[in-house]
Amino acid sequence: MATKPSKGMAVPAAMPDSSGAKAVEGVPVPTFEWMGLSAEWGTRIKPGEHGLRLSDLNVGIYGEVPEVWEDQTRRPRGALPRPGVPPLPYNLRHKHQMWAESAANLYEEAIQRRWIPATDVPWASLKPLPDDVERAVCQVCTELMQYANTEIEIITYWQDQMSYGYYEVKQFLATATFDCARLIEALRKRALSNGGGLGQESRGLVNRMILESRGGWTESAVYLYLVRGTYMMQVLKGLLNAAHNDAERMIYGKAIEDWSRHLTYGYDHLKYSISHQAGQADILQTLLGLGEVMMAAELQESTMRPALAFIFGSGIKGGRTIGMETYLHLVGDFVRNYVAICDWLGVPRAEMLHPLLKKYLEY
Amino acid sequence: MSEAPVKQQEYELDTSWMQHMGEWGMRAEPGKRGLTLTEIQIGSYGDIPEISKNMSGRPRGAGERADAYRVGAYGVRAKSEIWLQNATFLYEEALQRQWSSATDVPWHTIEALPDAVEEAECLLCTFFNEVEFVAGDVPARWVANTTPDFLEPRHVLLAQVMDESRHMDVFRKRALANGGGLMRMSGATSGFVGSIDLARDFTEMSTRLHISGEGAVLTMFRMGELFGQNEAEKIMYRLCAQDEARHVAFGVMHLRFLSETAPERREEIEFYLDEAEAQILSGVQNPAGTQAETAEALAILLGGGKEHYDEGHKKLLVIRRRQLKEYMQRVKTAGFGARFENGRSTVPQQYESAI
Amino acid sequence: MAVFPSLDWFQKVRDVYNSDGTLHKGGGGACHTTAAFKVDGQSYLIVFEGLKCADIRTPTSAELDEADFVIEMPFDLWKAMVANVQSHGKADLQYTLNSLDLQQEEGIAHSPADDQYRQDLFYRYNQNFQDFFDASARVKTTFA
Repeated sequence: MATKPSKGMAVPAAMPDSSGAKAVEGVPVPTFEWMGLSAEWGTRIKPGEHGLRLSDLNVGIYGEVPEVWEDQTRRPRGALPRPGVPPLPYNLRHKHQMWAESAANLYEEAIQRRWIPATDVPWASLKPLPDDVERAVCQVCTELMQYANTEIEIITYWQDQMSYGYYEVKQFLATATFDCARLIEALRKRALSNGGGLGQESRGLVNRMILESRGGWTESAVYLYLVRGTYMMQVLKGLLNAAHNDAERMIYGKAIEDWSRHLTYGYDHLKYSISHQAGQADILQTLLGLGEVMMAAELQESTMRPALAFIFGSGIKGGRTIGMETYLHLVGDFVRNYVAICDWLGVPRAEMLHPLLKKYLEY
Repeated sequence: MSEAPVKQQEYELDTSWMQHMGEWGMRAEPGKRGLTLTEIQIGSYGDIPEISKNMSGRPRGAGERADAYRVGAYGVRAKSEIWLQNATFLYEEALQRQWSSATDVPWHTIEALPDAVEEAECLLCTFFNEVEFVAGDVPARWVANTTPDFLEPRHVLLAQVMDESRHMDVFRKRALANGGGLMRMSGATSGFVGSIDLARDFTEMSTRLHISGEGAVLTMFRMGELFGQNEAEKIMYRLCAQDEARHVAFGVMHLRFLSETAPERREEIEFYLDEAEAQILSGVQNPAGTQAETAEALAILLGGGKEHYDEGHKKLLVIRRRQLKEYMQRVKTAGFGARFENGRSTVPQQYESAI
Repeated sequence: MAVFPSLDWFQKVRDVYNSDGTLHKGGGGACHTTAAFKVDGQSYLIVFEGLKCADIRTPTSAELDEADFVIEMPFDLWKAMVANVQSHGKADLQYTLNSLDLQQEEGIAHSPADDQYRQDLFYRYNQNFQDFFDASARVKTTFA
C-alpha cells in the first residue's frame, strides 16, 4: 500500500443545505471492505517524453499478458476478480487469437495523427475534371468506401467477442474503425463535391469473403489485411501519385498513414499467431489458397480495374494504354508485396501462388 | 512504387458501369463549419429511407447492381430504430473534439495522496475502466448490425467506440500513475449495465446505455472533476465528461426522433424506462446510489478523506439528487416527460426524498 | 484595466482567447453554441463558432430566451472566481466552472427553454468555457 505521507489537499467546498441536514434514513454504515483489495499496489508510472502512453503501463502484474485469459467477465487486466460474476460471451480468450505487440503504440499513434476531413482537407482546391476522369475517381471512391465499410463490419463483429485480457488490441481496433468511418466520410465528400456522384456498388467478391469468415478473428485478419489490405495500400499509393488536386492528395495521403497502422497490426498479429499456434501456418496456407482465387477474380471483374486505368491514363483513351499499363504494374507490385509478406510471416506462397495472381508478376 | 514499363498495347476496358452510377452532377460546398456531413446531404444522397432495402452494404445513393452479394444481414433497417436529427452535428463534433490521454492530461501534476484517498480514486478508476468496456463493446456490435444507409448515426456510434476506448485507457493510466494500482473489479457491469448487453433492440439498448447508464456516469465524471486533487484529474474527468455528454445527447435525440415518428412504440419504450429506473436509479446498481462500494469511494473523495466520510456522503446525496433531476429533464426532452407527472415513474418521489 | 462585470471586460477576454491558440487546451476544439452569462443583474451573450469566440454582446430579452444555456451565479461567487483566476493564472481546483456548478445545489447553468439537451452543451463544451475564463487572467481587472 502507498505509504507516502499525506499533504494538504483540496477539499470540495461545503454545499449549501448539506451541513446540519437530518440523517438520511436507510444509509448504510460503510464497510470499506473493498479497501486493501489490490493485486499489486505501489505502482507509479511517470510520463515519458511522449507523455503517458499505454505501453508504459505494462509494469509488474499489469504487464503480464498471459497466453490464455480464462476470465469471461469485464475484469480489467490486473484487477482482482470478484466471485459470482456471470460470464459474458468473450469467446476469443487466447493471446494468439488477436495479439500484436505493436497494438498499444499503434493506438497512441492513431490518436496523435488524427485529422478532420470537414476542415483539414482543402476542398477549395477541387477543380472540374473531364467527365470520364471524374466518373473514374467517383467510382474508385465508392469502391474504397465499401472496402472501409467491410472493415468496419468485420472488426465490430469480432470486437465484442475479444476478451479484455488483451485490451490493447481492442483499443487499437477502435481506432481502426474510427479511421474507416473517417475515410468513408472523406471519400463520400470527395465524390459529392466536384460535379459527380457515387459510383456503382461493388459486386463484393472479396468483401463477401471477409464478411463470411467465421472461424476466428485471425481468419478474418488474413483476408482483411494480408489479401485486401495489401492491395488497398497499393491502390492508395497509386491514387496519391495520380492525385489531381491538394484535396485528393491529403485524403489519400492521410489514408495511407491510417492504413499503414492497420497493416502493421494485421501483419504483426498474423506473425504472432503463426509463431504461437501449432498448425496455424498450414491453416493460413489453406485460407490463402482460397483467398487468392477470390482476389484474382475480383481483380479481373471489378470496376476498380477500368476506373483506376482511366485515372492513371487521364481518361478513357489514355486509360486503354498507359493507364492500364500503370494499373497492371500496380497490381504486380501488390502481388510482389503480398508474396514477400507471406514469406516473412512463414507462409510462403511463391510456389503455390494462384496462376491468375501469378500472371501479374510479369508487370 | 517501381517505375511502370512503357508498352503500347491497347486494352479493352469496360465502361458500362459509367451508365449505372448514382445521381450525377453533385456539387456540395463547404459551409461555415467546413464540408460537413450536412453539406453532402444533397439530392438523392440526402434521402434517408424509412425502411432500408440495402442488404449489400453499398454506400447510400450508390448505383445498385443486380448481382451484388447480399452480405449485410442487417437487423436495423428502419429509420425510426436508430435515427436522430442531429447525427451529422454530433459526428463532426466528435471529430473536432478528440483528445489524447497521453499528452493532453498533465500527468506531472499528480502528487502523492493519503492512502485512503488514493485507494478510493483507484477503486473509482477500476470501476470506470470496467464500465467503459461495455460502452465500447455494445455500440460496436450494433454498428455491424445496421445498414450503411444510416451512415450518420453509425458514424456517431463509431466515434463513441473511439471515445470509450480513450476513457478505458485514461482511467487505467490514472490508477497506475500515483503509487496505487487497480483494485477489485466491481462486477456491476453484469448488473448495473449488464442488461445493456442483453438488449435485442437498438432503442432498448440506447435507452439503457445512453440515457440511463451514461447519464449517471456523466454525473460521476463531473463529480470526479469536482473532487479532483490535481490538474491532471480535473482535466481527465472534464474531458471524459465532455465525451459522455455527447453520447447522452445521442440517446436523447434518438429517443426524441422515435417518439415523434413511431408513436406505436411509446408504451414499449416506457417499459424500458421503467426497467432502467428500477435498476440504475435506485438500489445497489447505481454507483452514485446509497450502497455500492463505489458510493463509499465517492464519499471519501468528496469529503476529502475517510475521516470526513459522513460529510462526503451528504455531498454525494446532493449530487445524486442533481443526477435524478437531470435524468428526468433528459427523458422529458426526449418526449417521455409525462411519466413523471402521471405517476408511472417513482423518480420524482426519489428526487423529493433525497436529502 | 477593465471593470468586471462589463461588456468591455468580456470583450477583452474574448480578444485574448481568440488571439492565442495556446490558451485552447487539448480536449477543447470546435464548439458551436450561444450561451449567456448573468452577472449582477446584467446579461452578456457569448457566441462560439468553431475555434473562436465569435461575439460577445448585450442581448435582447428574446436573444437571452434563445440561448442554449445561461451561467448565473451570485455576484460574490462570480467575483471570487474571477479573482481566483487573476491570482493563479487560471482557475484553481475549487473554482473551475464545473466545481462551482456542483457546489451549488441547483447548479449554475440552466436552459431558458428548459431543454436538457441544450443545457448539456455546458457539459459538452465545458473545456472551451473554462479556457475562456482562464484567459481572463491576462486582462487587468478591477471589480465593480
